[in-house]
Parts: sequence; C-alpha cells; structure tokens
Amino acid sequence: MTYIGHGGKEIVERVLEPEKAAEAIKGLTPVPIRGQIAREIIDIAYGFFTPLEGFMTRADVEGVCNEMKLANGVLWPIPIVFDISTEEINEKGIKEGDKLLLTYQDKPMAILEVEEIFTYDKQEMAQKVYGTTEDKHPGVARTYNYKDKFIGGKITLVNPPKINPPFDEFFFTPKQLRQKFAEKGWQRVVAHQTRNVPHTGHEWLMKGAWLSTHGELPVEKTLTGVLVNAIIGEKRKGDYIDEAIVLCHDVLRKAGYFREDVHLTSITLWDMRYAGPKEAVFHAILRSNLGLTHHMFGRDHAGVGTYYDPYDAHRIFDQIPEGALNIKPIRVLAWWYCPICGEVTYSGLCGHKEHSQNFSGTLIRSIIQDGVKPPRLIFRPEVFDLIMECAEKYGFGSAFVTDKYLKERNPVFSLPDMKY
Amino acid sequence: MSITINIWINEERYEKLQKAGLANMAEEALAGLKVIKVPCTEQQKDKVLKVFPTAKYDSATTKSIELLPREVKDKIFDLVVEKQSIDVMDDFLKNY
Repeated sequence: MTYIGHGGKEIVERVLEPEKAAEAIKGLTPVPIRGQIAREIIDIAYGFFTPLEGFMTRADVEGVCNEMKLANGVLWPIPIVFDISTEEINEKGIKEGDKLLLTYQDKPMAILEVEEIFTYDKQEMAQKVYGTTEDKHPGVARTYNYKDKFIGGKITLVNPPKINPPFDEFFFTPKQLRQKFAEKGWQRVVAHQTRNVPHTGHEWLMKGAWLSTHGELPVEKTLTGVLVNAIIGEKRKGDYIDEAIVLCHDVLRKAGYFREDVHLTSITLWDMRYAGPKEAVFHAILRSNLGLTHHMFGRDHAGVGTYYDPYDAHRIFDQIPEGALNIKPIRVLAWWYCPICGEVTYSGLCGHKEHSQNFSGTLIRSIIQDGVKPPRLIFRPEVFDLIMECAEKYGFGSAFVTDKYLKERNPVFSLPDMKY
Repeated sequence: MSITINIWINEERYEKLQKAGLANMAEEALAGLKVIKVPCTEQQKDKVLKVFPTAKYDSATTKSIELLPREVKDKIFDLVVEKQSIDVMDDFLKNY
C-alpha cells in the first residue's frame, strides 16, 4: 500500500535486505557516529522525516534557515545535518562521491552517500532557527557543539535496530502506524507530544483535543483516536527516565482513564531542540508522516526558559501557507486546578482565575522528589505507583535520570551483529 | 509574582511543623496539598541555580525554583523551623 507523507511524497523505507546490505558495505570507510545521528538515521530510513532521504545539503540548510523551506520548496523548519571534523575528513580521505559506512555501538548501521561537504556559520544557523545566539539555549548549545564541517547526502539503513523492552511494543514505523490506525477504524487521530510522565493537566489536554478533533463526526462508532507520541532522545540528569514516560502514558488507558479504543502510545527517536514555534512545525510534519490528522499544541510547546512567548507555537501556524502542511493544529490554553470548581479545569472556560492553582510537569516532578504523593485529582495513583515501580525496575532506585542510569541503562535500541 | 522555593509538606515534615507550633505556616497550594513557599530574590535565585545545577526555574508556569535535591529542601525546611520564619535564604546560602 502506498502512503503519502509530507510534501506530497510517498513514504519510502530506505532499508536494504540483509544479503544486499552485507554486499553493499564491503570495503566502505567506517565512520563512527553518536546517538543523535543514529536516531536521525532511523527516522530518515523509515520515513519519519519524509521527504528527507538523507542529511541536508547546503542548499537545504540555507533554505531552512532563511525561508523555512527545503531547496525543493517544501516546508521544513529545523536543519537535519551530519557534522564531521576536518581532521576526520582528512584522516579518512573522505571526498564528495564517496560512500561511507556509518557505525554505531561498534556495528555497521547505514551507508551515507557523500553528495556535498560544506561549512555553515553556526551562529547564523542558531540565530535563524532559535532566534538567539545565547549558548544557554540548549538548541543553540547543540548547534555550537557541531563539528566544523557538514556532509549532505542520502542514507540507507543496512542494519535495522532491535528496539529493546519495554520500548519495543511502542515503536511503530510510519507505515506500521498508519496500518494500525486503519485497523482501529480511526478516521482522525490527534497527536499529543510528550517527554513527560502524565499528570491530569496532560490528561485533560488530550481529552479536550480529542473532542476538538472528533468535531462533527458521528458518535455511534469510535472514529477518532489520541496518539501519545513520546519523544525519546538524549537524557539529562533529573529528567524522568524514558521507561517511566512511556509506561505511565500507556497506563492511563490500561487503568481506564481512556477507553481502550481511543488511545495509543508510541515513541519517536529525536533529540529535542527546544526551538519553540519552529519545533512545533517540525512536530507537525513528523506527525503528519505518521498519518495523524490533527496535532495538539498547548502552552509553551517545545519552549525553554523565556526565549519564546508561551503562545508563539500557536501563532506560527497562521504564517504557514494553506496546503503546505497536511495536519491541523489544535490550539489549547493551559488547564489548572480550581479549588472553587473542585476540579482540573480549562483556563479558557473557568472564571475563577484569581483562585487558580497552576501546575506543570516540573512542579509535579519536584513534589515527587520531595517524597510527597500528589493528590489523585492532580496525579493518577496508578501513574504514581508505576513511576515507583519503574524506578526500581529500570532506574537503579530512582525515577529520575542519574549518572548510573546514563551509564548503565539498557539502551532503547541495539544494533544486531552483522556479517560482512 | 515573586520567586519562591516550594517545600512540599509530607507527613514527616508536617509532624515537625506541629511540634514547633508552626503547622499554620503551611498553605494549601494544589488540590489540598500543603506547601511552604520560601521567597527568593532574583540574586538568590541565580545563586541557587548556579550552586545546584539540576534545579530549574519554572519561569513559564509557577515562577518557582524546582527540582532541588531532597536533602537541600530538607536543609531549607529545617532552617524555616529553626528560625520560625520563611525568610531563610540568606542564611541558607551563606554556606555556599
């Protein structure tokens, strides 16, 4: 079955059959890569980043930075680049026209066709993508940490990753996910972007977004779903561990806070850039490739610190030309706890602003760190209990990322041994 | 809105407050959960974030410094009980 992704391009999997792969990599120069690049290779190879077939060339990067468009005119907000040092290029004698064997975890992973080797001003890239050159911004810091040269060119996966438990039941390629939606009979699916364990504010955001998405559809049959798409990438000390994020979202359905036939949890491998509005557009593209029809954007989507207005990520969609994006944004304000209403309620409806009690994922994390169990109106007990279980099972006694977790955790994916 | 450090009150902390006759110092903050809000100046906030790199200032939603290690919160809480006041950040930061 053919599936059409972002930019009207067919979703294509750039993955070689094992026998062809072993043959194709013979004699290629090996180049070890880091986790971020490995995750992006998986995204490109399975079509998460359609229409990208590889890492961007200079023309693409320029178009993305200056006009939020690829060189072919398709909307795209964040550069996807393969960085490499001049020393490594010289040492390995890499030149345009070469094919490189990208290795990860000391195993072959993908072939990179070297179409172009180029440089790009990192400060300019930071300013244009993030609206700042301050290295306190984590996306800017990531940009400054890029090595001095970039290689643009197509990639082909030669050694498909094995997704490890408990993530294996949540990893779906765009094609698999679209098949799953069809099996469920979902005509519309709304995305909830997350890298957090859910509190009831998140739960109500999803429920509100589901209602907006379902709209005028008949109610006799479930035609609309919520897809929780957890972003799994680089972790920082103090974050919730990945296992807790994924399993706790899934438990919302298992514990009945969502009906079995309206809710699904999945993962996408991506290192957050915290690019605020630009990242909101990126998330919309990503989820349109997954086959979603709607995308919920709450307060301060993909923001960090005070670099963006809390609703910049809503406003950017007003600037996008009709037809450039095949997914509808659902814009929502914050939910808060209102002691007068006695419930978590929508700030766009509740008239008790002066009594409102705001909460955030960070605040809840702080409460849990203080050894306090949040009230069930704010945090479902099943979620709390599961966090504690995950701490024991996966986090070396902590639900939050520690040095030990960073060093000894079971990786999200592994590359199998490969004969070549 | 002023900057605060939220000391969330669990049973153990509530017992200590009661013993010190300070139970009314805790205010209701979140669906019945009790908290002591320790005020910070801008300079104190910057120093706390520098000394404790895992801490985060939630500028978007709550204007509070969150994710301080548990033992650090315990020290601030003990100072509140000892001084019978929430204005303890100068004293607390003297040691750092």
